[in-house]
Amino acid sequence: MQVVVLLAGVVDPKWRLDRLALRPGAALVDETGLPRRLGPFDEAALETALKLRDADPAVRATAVLVGGPEDDALLRAVSAFRPHRAFRFGGAATSLWDPRAAVRLLGAAVAAAAERPDLVLMGREFGDGDDGTLPPALAEARGWRFCGLAHAVTLAGDGTVALRRMRGPREEILRLRPPVLASVTNDRGNRLRHPLLKHVMLARRAPVEAIAPPPEAGEGAPALALRGIAAVPPPPRGGGACRLLTGPIETQVEELATLLRRWRAVGEG
Amino acid sequence: MRRVCALVPLGDPAIADPFAAVAAAAAVAARGGGQASAILLAREARRGDAALAQAAREGAAEILRAAHPALPEAPQAEHLLAAFAHLLRTEARDGLFILPAGPVGEELAARLALRLDAVPLGRCTDIAWEGRTLLARRPAYGGRAEARLATEATLCLAAMRRPAAAAAPAGGAPAVRAVTLDVALPGDLEPPGVAEPAADAPRRPEGARIVVAGGRGMGGAEGFAQLRELAALLDGAVGASLPAVDAGWAAVAQQVGQSGAFVAPELYLAFGLSGTAQHLAGIGPGTRIVAVNPDPEAEIFRVAELGLVAPWQEVLPRLIGRLRRA
Ligand SMILES: Cc1cc2nc3c(=O)[nH]c(=O)nc-3n(C[C@H](O)[C@H](O)[C@H](O)COP(=O)(O)OP(=O)(O)OC[C@H]3O[C@@H](n4cnc5c(N)ncnc54)[C@H](O)[C@@H]3O)c2cc1C
Ligand SMILES: Nc1ncnc2c1ncn2[C@@H]1O[C@H](COP(=O)(O)O)[C@@H](O)[C@H]1O
Repeated sequence: MQVVVLLAGVVDPKWRLDRLALRPGAALVDETGLPRRLGPFDEAALETALKLRDADPAVRATAVLVGGPEDDALLRAVSAFRPHRAFRFGGAATSLWDPRAAVRLLGAAVAAAAERPDLVLMGREFGDGDDGTLPPALAEARGWRFCGLAHAVTLAGDGTVALRRMRGPREEILRLRPPVLASVTNDRGNRLRHPLLKHVMLARRAPVEAIAPPPEAGEGAPALALRGIAAVPPPPRGGGACRLLTGPIETQVEELATLLRRWRAVGEG
Repeated sequence: MRRVCALVPLGDPAIADPFAAVAAAAAVAARGGGQASAILLAREARRGDAALAQAAREGAAEILRAAHPALPEAPQAEHLLAAFAHLLRTEARDGLFILPAGPVGEELAARLALRLDAVPLGRCTDIAWEGRTLLARRPAYGGRAEARLATEATLCLAAMRRPAAAAAPAGGAPAVRAVTLDVALPGDLEPPGVAEPAADAPRRPEGARIVVAGGRGMGGAEGFAQLRELAALLDGAVGASLPAVDAGWAAVAQQVGQSGAFVAPELYLAFGLSGTAQHLAGIGPGTRIVAVNPDPEAEIFRVAELGLVAPWQEVLPRLIGRLRRA
């Protein structure tokens, strides 16, 4: 059973993006000086792959970090979790903004990991530029069965993959025959474990494996071009002036209770 | 002016607001000086009467009612994809097609685009044309940045939320056409199993009039038990931030934000939430926020109308007590 987890990484969300802009003359975002880490959905997908590996000796788990040399430190962090294999796929100009080009690149990344993948895992959003388009687009392009927003994935004895997801008001359990691509959402059950310190130290010294995409993966003009990017302030709301209550806490709570009682009465009346 | 058309799958309980696509298409078309059309897809044609009226109200000037009798009661994405792909191949070879934002609509938009050799635009906040070039804006970096994207493609798919301001309804009655589809639907799909909902399954925050939400600052399950108590007193639902879901204090269906539920209640009570862009992206612009947080510098106070600078431990038990007595 070949399990491939694709990882994108994000800019550390604690860092301000004020200077975010395109690189001069290129449709690439300049992220110079912004530290990268795994996003919450990368982490959920990676933990899901590690759990499958732990549960079944027949599972071979390969982690692929899609990105350029600036991601090598992140790749080492991934290696410390000891998947069977971890490598970086892409070059300095890796861009995922055009979904059709991105899908060619991601398809090549999976192919570099496994000749016949059974299960491909990726976060529900693949990096900072994706809003959930890339996982279903990749599945569709490859003809793989797709399950979006899975929060738990197990292998059933009959060779199918069992996936749980919330779909509107209900929790669904899908049983899909490989090859399957699942986009993974965060959940208590797939919080990324801590790596062993020993493995962190080993990964820090080990060479990283990097694979350059085949030329045909980057061919053709982009169908969707990135024209610009800029940090945006949160949209104004609440009139911009928050009334902070003062005085004894009992009085403050009474004021809030009064507001809620009135609000409730309006709703009922 | 390009064709702008909403694709509306009807009767799927997983799609909270299918007509958001029509309202969004109408707004995009109006800005370009044109009118939107809509394709309504259902199992039976007769289901469509109320839907027809609503699509017209939301601004569709031209409506195609498509019925496929072989659609299952609870269609899977594969069924809707097959039907919509057929409709687009036979009815419309180019244009901008808009699906309702949300997990189902966004998956359909992405997969339809790949299946039809079109360009997927993702979940856009704004779409306009500059000559022949389509320009789309969408959030990136967890809603902290905005990307501007351009394409010359003539067939594009996007997902959109209901716009803040509705476009003026199209004047006069819409032109309506009906088709019955017989395109083959994938027949070998096992319907998904449905997990038995737990007796204490939380109410979903979408659609509630009031959401009582908690974040990392709740510190544990005890705080969330009190949030549930408060929500029950107010007939509301409990929401949570991503870290609170990760910690297991709330279920994944309760996650509010960029990557979670989009809620637009009248009131949002925010306890132990710092007010990150990723979280606020899931709260409707018209919602009034009340925040409880001991840190007076917390971002949440920049967007709240009313604030209590205090830990939840000092507020929740007292508030619950007072509302109980009332
Ligand atoms: C790709 C990506 C997508 C994301 N999507 C989402 C999303 O959809 N939804 C989401 O919520 N997050 C999302 N996040 C996470 C986001 O970046 C933040 O980590 C998260 O929103 C912070 O949640 P929080 O406000 O609960 O925690 P924190 O930011 O840690 O804030 C906790 C707050 O609690 C306050 N506090 C402490 N003690 C108390 C007390 N006793 N009583 C009351 N208050 C107290 C603190 O002062 C602080 O302000 C995403 C992140 C990434 C990278
Ligand atoms: N864009 C940035 N450039 C340089 N330093 C930053 C940037 N964003 C945040 N920091 C710093 O990173 C540290 C951690 O940030 P925070 O957790 O957001 O307080 C603080 O010292 C910040 O001042």
